[in-house]
Amino acid sequence: MIRKKSILSSLSALTILSVILSACGGAANNTANTGNSGATPAANTEDTAAAEPVEFSFYLTGSQNVKSLYDTLIPMFEEKNPDAKVNLVYIPSGAGAQPTYDRILAAKQAGKGSGDIDLYEAGLSDVTLGKKDDLWDTLNADGIPNLNHVNQQVLTNISNLAVPYRSSAVLLAYNSEKITDVPTTLDELYEWIRNHPGKFAYNDPSTGGSGNSFVMTTLYKDLPEDAIYNSDPSILEQWGTGMDLLKDLGQFVYGGGIYPKKNQGTLDLLATGEVDMIPAWSDMVMEQTANGLLPASTKMQQLTPGFNGGPTYLMVPKLSEKKEAVYKFLDFVLSPEAQEVIVNQLHGFPGIEITNMPQEIQDSFEGAAEGFRSFNIGELEKEMTKRWQSEVAAQ
Amino acid sequence: MSKQSKMGVLGLLLVLPSFLVLFVIVILPVALSFKESLTNDSGGYDLSNYIYLFTDKLMRSNIIFTLTVTIISVGLVLAVSYALAVYMRFNDSAIVRWIQKMYMIPIFIPGVIATYGLIRMLGNRGWAAQFLYQFGVESMPRFIFDMKGIIIANLWFNIPFTTMLLASALTAVPNSIIESAKDVGAGMWRIFFNLILPLTYKTLLVAATFAFMGIIGSFTAPFLLGPNAPQMLGVSMQQIFGVFQDRQLASALAFFTFFLCSIMGYFYIREMTKEERGKAT
Repeated sequence: MIRKKSILSSLSALTILSVILSACGGAANNTANTGNSGATPAANTEDTAAAEPVEFSFYLTGSQNVKSLYDTLIPMFEEKNPDAKVNLVYIPSGAGAQPTYDRILAAKQAGKGSGDIDLYEAGLSDVTLGKKDDLWDTLNADGIPNLNHVNQQVLTNISNLAVPYRSSAVLLAYNSEKITDVPTTLDELYEWIRNHPGKFAYNDPSTGGSGNSFVMTTLYKDLPEDAIYNSDPSILEQWGTGMDLLKDLGQFVYGGGIYPKKNQGTLDLLATGEVDMIPAWSDMVMEQTANGLLPASTKMQQLTPGFNGGPTYLMVPKLSEKKEAVYKFLDFVLSPEAQEVIVNQLHGFPGIEITNMPQEIQDSFEGAAEGFRSFNIGELEKEMTKRWQSEVAAQ
Repeated sequence: MSKQSKMGVLGLLLVLPSFLVLFVIVILPVALSFKESLTNDSGGYDLSNYIYLFTDKLMRSNIIFTLTVTIISVGLVLAVSYALAVYMRFNDSAIVRWIQKMYMIPIFIPGVIATYGLIRMLGNRGWAAQFLYQFGVESMPRFIFDMKGIIIANLWFNIPFTTMLLASALTAVPNSIIESAKDVGAGMWRIFFNLILPLTYKTLLVAATFAFMGIIGSFTAPFLLGPNAPQMLGVSMQQIFGVFQDRQLASALAFFTFFLCSIMGYFYIREMTKEERGKAT
């Protein structure tokens, strides 16, 4: 009896094993097949360009929410434009083996065109870098009609080398149930912090952009207006008063000098009601208020002069061979229809002028979508967090 | 080839794969980061990064903070785990059976989740505070964003595994020894210090080594629960490497941490080989 049982069980084990093995084999075959089928149409594209859709590669580095935005936008685009196909290459932030910018540059230097990268999303620093290295294609409204709806001043500032298609800014988020008299200038804010000890928090500037912006704005408070675009180390000496101010504010912020980690750290404190006011990213505040993570009484206020903020840009490498299809895609991204998805799903500010958007969206951005400044101090930012760590955190 | 040399070759072949793995993932990176840590700003080699580590006020306070947290944590972990293991070994009741079933649970909870759980519980408006508020306790000591928070998290992460190690060592202590000691009239404390402790001393050392290494290099809990300054070395290293992008200094700090761990490792290996030699002769 016992023998029979063991034979039976070993038999069934064998069966299971063979099933698993064959399943593995099948899977392997399948992938091999898809690999082949993927290669065939690509080869065809070159022969019969008119019939097959043009597939271009769009490199995206960023958070998951940006990827899900394109997972919505790309099918919308492809449905309308059967002759174009977007190959989205998403590299989660921090995981990129070689930053995309370096790849484009290396491909150019090696004489290999654009390195199969036809569209690239990044912030202001990469736009300026690419201007220096002559990497980006100059864009105009002939190819992309909707470019007319974008703020022309922004386009001129970047010499039409990129499309500013969405933006967000750091601003003050506060609990409107407890605060009626909201500060609108930096000095009023400092006074408010001193009068309400422990009710304001900003996050460790090395761990998130909102605290970073608070520190930067404070350091540049009394400096000339154009110093915020200056990345020359000579300006470091003028940071002294700002650092002293931050040191002094330490005793009045949350917990007498506690700076939570990450942008989310301060938002959590606002949500539990431990603090009443924080600097925060507009998109995070809007998304979390909409989801009920932050109380509905949460409101936002930009200061004058404002915190850091700015657009995110889409760039077309000059040497890309599929520009026509890319232009179509850019035009689509700037259409009111796609911009509405950006507003509703990503909670970003629209890239086109807000008057082109439906009235209810215009209303929801009142007072928030303007007044921010685009700081661009380059490498000095490292120095700033370093000094903050040793002078303010460790005081 | 004689049989002996054949066996020798076979032995080498068997050792080779693990040695190669060790070489590629441990020895080589350590050597590379040691070289990196000796590089100064102008590209030459000197000790400037190490001098900075021990002279900069912030860095020094980070090192002292890390050692303090580690030593307190290891001490507490060993004390609690040993007490728990001894209790489970020499008692048999419903409570013991419950503890035996449950004490491993923390191992199966991911670190980040446990850390956020601690924040929720011990935070200023966390449920511990809300619970105590019912009894008229107005203010709690600060646990989160403080050294105490990191130590509590370390207890949570390290007690289960340490208890498991010690419990298995205690099971190996034969009942007969203890009974015969009792027969000749040894008291409870005498049995503990003269029999149980010496018999489990080696495992205690193993447990201390594991806890020490785990805590000194920890990141998640100190990052989320710790103060802004001083920081534990893992957090500081991440900041220097990722934010300040000073790879040389980060390497120096990494190498220093490795050095601290190897001191611990040295004592561990010395004790182990002493025992082996004792057996061989």
